[in-house]
Amino acid sequence: MENNQQQGAQAQSGPYPGGAGGSAGAGAGAGAAPFQHLLQQQQQQLQMFWSYQRQEIEHVNDFKNHQLPLARIKKIMKADEDVRMISAEAPILFAKACELFILELTIRSWLHADENKRRTLQKNDIAAAITRTDIFDFLVDIVPRDEIKDDAALVGATASGVPYYYPPIGQPAGMMIGRPAVDPATGVYVQPPSQAWQSVWQSAAEDTPYGTGAQGNLDGQSMEF
Amino acid sequence: MSDAPASPSHESGGEQSPRGSLSGAAREQDRYLPIANISRIMKKALPPNGKIAKDAKDTMQECVSEFISFITSEASEKCQKEKRKTINGDDLLWAMATLGFEDYIEPLKVYLARYREAEGDTKGSARSGDGSARPDQVGLAGQNAQLVHQGSLNYIGLQVQPQHLVMPSMQGHE
Repeated sequence: MENNQQQGAQAQSGPYPGGAGGSAGAGAGAGAAPFQHLLQQQQQQLQMFWSYQRQEIEHVNDFKNHQLPLARIKKIMKADEDVRMISAEAPILFAKACELFILELTIRSWLHADENKRRTLQKNDIAAAITRTDIFDFLVDIVPRDEIKDDAALVGATASGVPYYYPPIGQPAGMMIGRPAVDPATGVYVQPPSQAWQSVWQSAAEDTPYGTGAQGNLDGQSMEF
Repeated sequence: MSDAPASPSHESGGEQSPRGSLSGAAREQDRYLPIANISRIMKKALPPNGKIAKDAKDTMQECVSEFISFITSEASEKCQKEKRKTINGDDLLWAMATLGFEDYIEPLKVYLARYREAEGDTKGSARSGDGSARPDQVGLAGQNAQLVHQGSLNYIGLQVQPQHLVMPSMQGHE
């Protein structure tokens, strides 16, 4: 199930169907308009992500239940021969930093999958997010060039001619490095296409910030004891 | 207690051939964080009907380790220049800001400040009890005591910049 690569579906979804219900009702428009809408939507989603993180961290009370095992983080840090001693707070801070990193990279990757009308996040979505975002330059060696070439094929298949990803050469004008620029042209509010995952955050916040704390505890305890 | 994992690895059984181990490299479970934990965090960023392919999880696993090494290396260089041996939380925050992860600094500063508050309470009780070992510490018991001591020294030396995010009690701490 998870291993379904959906390569065939990916190729079929190349052309952008007219009046598709998948994304917000901005399908019909002049050449540049859909692209600008896309940029604004993505920036809004990332902005909401960071606002949510700031709120969530304000309510953290338990520093012993982490999403990621501290001992493993420490081992990765110590793999660098120049690293001598690590204070107790460093792996704990990294546990939260890595969570933010995973969330941001996953959101940016999902935006690419969503552009291509797929519901399964794939390796080439992560590759696209890495090429689009300057702060992720240090990851370019992890994704092979072939993954990036797949995007070029998709671009060729786009009927409307609107690029569904940002070329590796430079960034679109107006986008700040690593920080979403908030500059809605007309101030018109556009519904994000992936509005569903906002409810995921809200429901997660309503339940517990560590809804899956049981497994987290298990990992933490097994590693730390 | 050694650093070796006490429980079986949560990762899938066989290693992926495209990610063959480097010569002399540690085991895969020492180089990556558990893929189950990573998958759980990834799902929080997706809508309910979103799915994650195996190769995407594997790639994220590698990216996270690279992120840790990237930040750690920068923080380690800073410590060496300043003739310090222990990497602390502020070094990591400085490294992240230097490497472009400005968005991460604000939430992590709040997180670190709250952690230090909690640790302050724990240390108080620990000192009164005359015991330095704590279950949530990583590494050897002796190293724990040493790290705690080093941590205290680092707190004294840290220059806490006045910000509305830093609690007043932080400045009055110790």
